[in-house]
Amino acid sequence: MEEDEREFAEFYAAAWGECLRIVMVSVADRPLAEDLVAEAFARAWGSWRKVRGLADPRAWVIRVAMNARVSWWRRHRREVTLGSQDGMAAGGQDLALDSSLVAALRRLPVRQREVIALRLLLDLDTATTAEMLGISGSTVTTHLHRAIGALRRDIPAFDDQELTQ
Amino acid sequence: MNNDDHALTALQDRLAEVRDSLGEAHPSIPASGIIARARRHRVRRRLIPAMTGALALAAGATLAVTMLLPASHPAGRQPGVQLTAWTVVRQPGGNVRVTIRELHDPAGLQRRLRGDGVPATVTFAGQQNPACRPWPGATLHGRSTPAGSTLFSNVFPPDPGAPSGVIVIRPSALPNGGGVQLEAGFRGHRPGALMEIGAGLVHASRQCTGS
Repeated sequence: MEEDEREFAEFYAAAWGECLRIVMVSVADRPLAEDLVAEAFARAWGSWRKVRGLADPRAWVIRVAMNARVSWWRRHRREVTLGSQDGMAAGGQDLALDSSLVAALRRLPVRQREVIALRLLLDLDTATTAEMLGISGSTVTTHLHRAIGALRRDIPAFDDQELTQ
Repeated sequence: MNNDDHALTALQDRLAEVRDSLGEAHPSIPASGIIARARRHRVRRRLIPAMTGALALAAGATLAVTMLLPASHPAGRQPGVQLTAWTVVRQPGGNVRVTIRELHDPAGLQRRLRGDGVPATVTFAGQQNPACRPWPGATLHGRSTPAGSTLFSNVFPPDPGAPSGVIVIRPSALPNGGGVQLEAGFRGHRPGALMEIGAGLVHASRQCTGS
């Protein structure tokens, strides 16, 4: 058990930052992202014997974080906090993100966001992404292309700037 | 490369910039805190399906210490086992701690809260009381205002160590004409699904909060 805890602690220390950054891309604010990631790591520890053996345990954490069901109460409290800090948010870290891209990403269906997160942000190959999501490689590719299509429609500038170079 | 390949590469580059722009960060919770959180989940998973006599005993022990008698509703689906669907405990200082373990008898919980002097409306599993009017800025559903935020925090003081399914109410912080709205449900249907309580403020009225 101590060995498991040590191994988990090492994984947590090594993977937390990257998991948080990726979850932040699809979640609106940092406190929420941190809470989701903490919840996902807690669940990872709860299933550590399974998670440790996966092709990429980080992908498991990210997927769980993106789908975590947060307590209505905690979420409400967060909404309250956000509502009280709208002015601060305008100058906050979120603006460091490519706002049009991030906004468009956040409008994608969950499965497409999962594929983007694992395949592009975590840079997994198609086979590993498919394994982590429990879908086929061709389905990963389909979701990816649909996501790209949606982003092209949502952000015309993306199409103009990137594809005509 | 076709257009999709170009777009994929471009998107990946831009996403990498977005991701990297967030910079380095270190976890605010140590690994031991995460493990402790997981253990609380495990305990909850064991407790939620059927509240055992041990829990009733533990609750009794707490009462013995605080010398306060909680109201509770026995769900009673298993003969010989003391099940407690929810518990209301008035804490020293006047706060009321509500624990909901099973979605059973919301009307009883509502009556109990009202009996404890908390104008309240309680619904389970997504039901709504159509007679209730949300309190501006501190509603259960919808965004809040800064003033509502302060009010909400005063009426529902945070209890960081509490598991989901627990909420604390400070009745003395309720504004004149204000009442409490609680809504509880399980998110998900798998074993271990979390009990969740939503909270907000409403205008007190006979039809909504009983007074």
